[in-house]
Amino acid sequence: MTRLPSEIRPVLDNGIPAVMVTCSADGVPNVTVISQVYYVDEGHAALSFQFFSKTIRNIRENPRACVWLSDIDRLSNWVLQLEFERSETEGAVFDAMDMQIEAIASATGMSGIFKLRAADIYRVLSVEQISQ
Amino acid sequence: MAPPRESNDLARQAAELARATAELQVLQRVSSEINSTLDLEEIYEIALRTMDELFEFHHAIILLLEPDGETLTVVASRGYENQAVGGHVRIGTGVIGIVAQRRKMLHVANLGHQRAYAAAQRRQMMKSDRRAELGEAVPVPGLPNAESQFAIPLLMRDELIGVFSIESPVRYGFSEHDRGLVLIVANQIASAVHKARLYEERRRAAEALQVANASLEQRVAERTAALERELRVAQELLSAARSRVEGPLLGDSPEVRALRDAVAREALRSEPLLLSGPTGAGKEAVAHALHRASGRRGAFIFINCAELQTESRKTPLEPMAARSEQRLLASKVELASGGTLFLEAFHELAPGLQAELHALIEAREQPEAREPTGLPTGSLPHDMRVIVATIRDPESFARDGRLLPLAARLVRNVIRVPALVDRREDIPALVEHFIRRHARRLGKIVNRVSSESMARLQAYKWPGNIRELSTVVERALLVSRGTVLEVDEDLLDERLAVGSYRLVSQLGSGGMGEVWLAKHRLLARPAAVKLIRHDPQQRDAHAQLVRRFQREALVTAGLRSPHTVQLYDFGVNDTGSFYYVMEFLQGLDLHRIVTRFGPQPAERVTMLLCQACRSLAEAHDRGLVHRDIKPANLFVTRLGHEYDYLKVLDFGIVKDQPREDATLISAQGILQGTPAFIAPEVMFGASTLDGRADLYSLACTAYWMLTGQLVFGASTPAEMILHHARTVPIPPSHVSELPIPGELDNLLMRCLEKDPSSRPSSALELESELSRVALDQPWTQEKAREWWDRHAPDTLREVQI
Repeated sequence: MTRLPSEIRPVLDNGIPAVMVTCSADGVPNVTVISQVYYVDEGHAALSFQFFSKTIRNIRENPRACVWLSDIDRLSNWVLQLEFERSETEGAVFDAMDMQIEAIASATGMSGIFKLRAADIYRVLSVEQISQ
Repeated sequence: MAPPRESNDLARQAAELARATAELQVLQRVSSEINSTLDLEEIYEIALRTMDELFEFHHAIILLLEPDGETLTVVASRGYENQAVGGHVRIGTGVIGIVAQRRKMLHVANLGHQRAYAAAQRRQMMKSDRRAELGEAVPVPGLPNAESQFAIPLLMRDELIGVFSIESPVRYGFSEHDRGLVLIVANQIASAVHKARLYEERRRAAEALQVANASLEQRVAERTAALERELRVAQELLSAARSRVEGPLLGDSPEVRALRDAVAREALRSEPLLLSGPTGAGKEAVAHALHRASGRRGAFIFINCAELQTESRKTPLEPMAARSEQRLLASKVELASGGTLFLEAFHELAPGLQAELHALIEAREQPEAREPTGLPTGSLPHDMRVIVATIRDPESFARDGRLLPLAARLVRNVIRVPALVDRREDIPALVEHFIRRHARRLGKIVNRVSSESMARLQAYKWPGNIRELSTVVERALLVSRGTVLEVDEDLLDERLAVGSYRLVSQLGSGGMGEVWLAKHRLLARPAAVKLIRHDPQQRDAHAQLVRRFQREALVTAGLRSPHTVQLYDFGVNDTGSFYYVMEFLQGLDLHRIVTRFGPQPAERVTMLLCQACRSLAEAHDRGLVHRDIKPANLFVTRLGHEYDYLKVLDFGIVKDQPREDATLISAQGILQGTPAFIAPEVMFGASTLDGRADLYSLACTAYWMLTGQLVFGASTPAEMILHHARTVPIPPSHVSELPIPGELDNLLMRCLEKDPSSRPSSALELESELSRVALDQPWTQEKAREWWDRHAPDTLREVQI
């Protein structure tokens, strides 16, 4: 099983948007930008499911996704190959994600606007560091 | 030699072990310290210091939940430039607020990024149509540049106490290990705060309990004192009530022994009983004694028949008043069920109510023969004893024609309550009793009465009987200073006291009335007191006289002319005598002046008549006619340095022109006024009687003053009246030996016209015409003073009383 290296953790939420690529069942790709990839454990990452977007629809049709992370500290990029495993609407991961979202939103006058619908758990298929 | 990698591992393990050991020591110490105190401030200090020791950074904050459950308040902080203590966080706002709301710890490792992302989102929304969904950004206490924050709810048995939060400006500042340490400290804080709070709550509760206890003790003490006071008052009242009951029956005289025997004999009977005796002899007390000895469990109900009668007199024509009395009597009868109904002044009870009461008694005794009555019929009082009291002799009571069935029964069953004067030998026992009773109440210590005072008390006539004796003893006690009571002679003759005045010497008397020189008890001001002695044997005449005096008092009180005698006071004294107090005048009335010194010069007569006119003018303006103007009612006195000051007296038969029935005199068959000075229309009971009648009388008086003769000579009042009605008088100038100016002569003759319309129209007009009479020499103050100095030098000297 592929493991997430410890040095990738600061990269997951370093504030630089990540690029996520999904593909529909009929093979049409979709590229989007996501704010944060949550670290779940060495073999899993979580993405927040807040909106009914094209990305979500694609993932429901085709569970494979590719995430491109920029590591400005090392002047490199990381490419994660992920596979959608499950959606969680409760539990530690969901709670941590939901509380973070609400904690920040409530202090900035946006309480209740960013409603976390689910925490989508992805299994890490591969991790590749690409030097720039 | 160990390979370098193994050496590094060993060194790393040793360092980790050392760090873990140090951490363990810190945690042990914090556990020990934080649990050894109940002081909240100390707990906070230990917790924050521990954070310093465990981490390089030292930004920590402790917040506690407010009682409202919606706010957290910073109670301690460390590492902040701007002390956050006192700051607030609303539940559900920010990291701390969300932790408190969810009661779950939260670690945010990239606060800066999160905030930046949120800010960007907000800017986007501000530009979009979702702007309205945005609220105000809420400042929360903490580092503005924090990158890592770890907040832990402080829970005690699932109850939120507060939040413990640490912050770092470094992203990913807290490892999993760090969080474990903070969690341990946070749990220690929660436990210690909970214990300290419990202790504080209990300490406050104990203090509140102590305060409440002290307050309760004080209230109990106050209540106890109040109850003791009430008990003392109740005991005094009981004692007083017992004294009232027992007092009159004390003594060993044959009279009181007979009275006690009668009480013992009569107590067990149920026949209506009449108690007869003078005022103040103790009839009510005897009735109480009968009630107590009867063994009846019901109440002793008192009714004053005179009060019922007074009420009915107020509204004689209104049936409502009668019904009101009937209801009052009915309610009293109900209350007396199983007890005693005592009617004082029974002779005043209206015949109708007597009949009602009698019907009730009959109905109770013979239920089958019961007749309808206004008194309660649904539940007739069982075993109610009717006792009545009267000051009238039962014999005369039976003869006066008002012997109704109830009265007829009562006169067959009589107990006579003796007057005190008839049981003098009981006076020492009674005096001792009253001293005991009043001294206790007045807070005096008196052992006995001096022998002189006792002799005085035993020799006194006691017109007010035992009630008067009680009053005298009480008054003597009030002014007493030693343990031996002295009863001043002044206290004894209460017949000589009226209101605030003490009678000094009798100035005159007639019929049932007397006139006394009196002095005010405090002001020592001389006064004249008219007094009508209370005489129960002449009830009707007395009542009529009292009404006349009352009327005179009321009328005089309303008049302000300085030439009308001034009224000071009026009322009824302790012995039931009606009195009124007026200014004491030194001088002579015109009757005496003429009788003693002969006819007076026209100048003086004119001057005196003018003064009389001023008094009468005020009375006439108020619609009052004096009706008894005569020389004896015109009094000449001195007022300061003013001599020959005339005062009009005796408004006792004054007539109220518009309101009084003009036929009253003839209807009653009584001619009020003095025949020699009476106007014809007064005799005939003219319906249009007015002030001109007084002018006729005033002219008759002037005639007397000028000539020393009456207008008409007659041997009988009837003859005199006929003259006034028919005979034309001889002008005074024809009779007088002294010169009388023609104008005065004519004016007086006009006043003596039979037809009122031929007289001057008013007293003021008469005064005006009198003032225009041409006199040879006016009557001056010098002449007046010379006259008094020569003829009656002692009369105007100020009286010493």
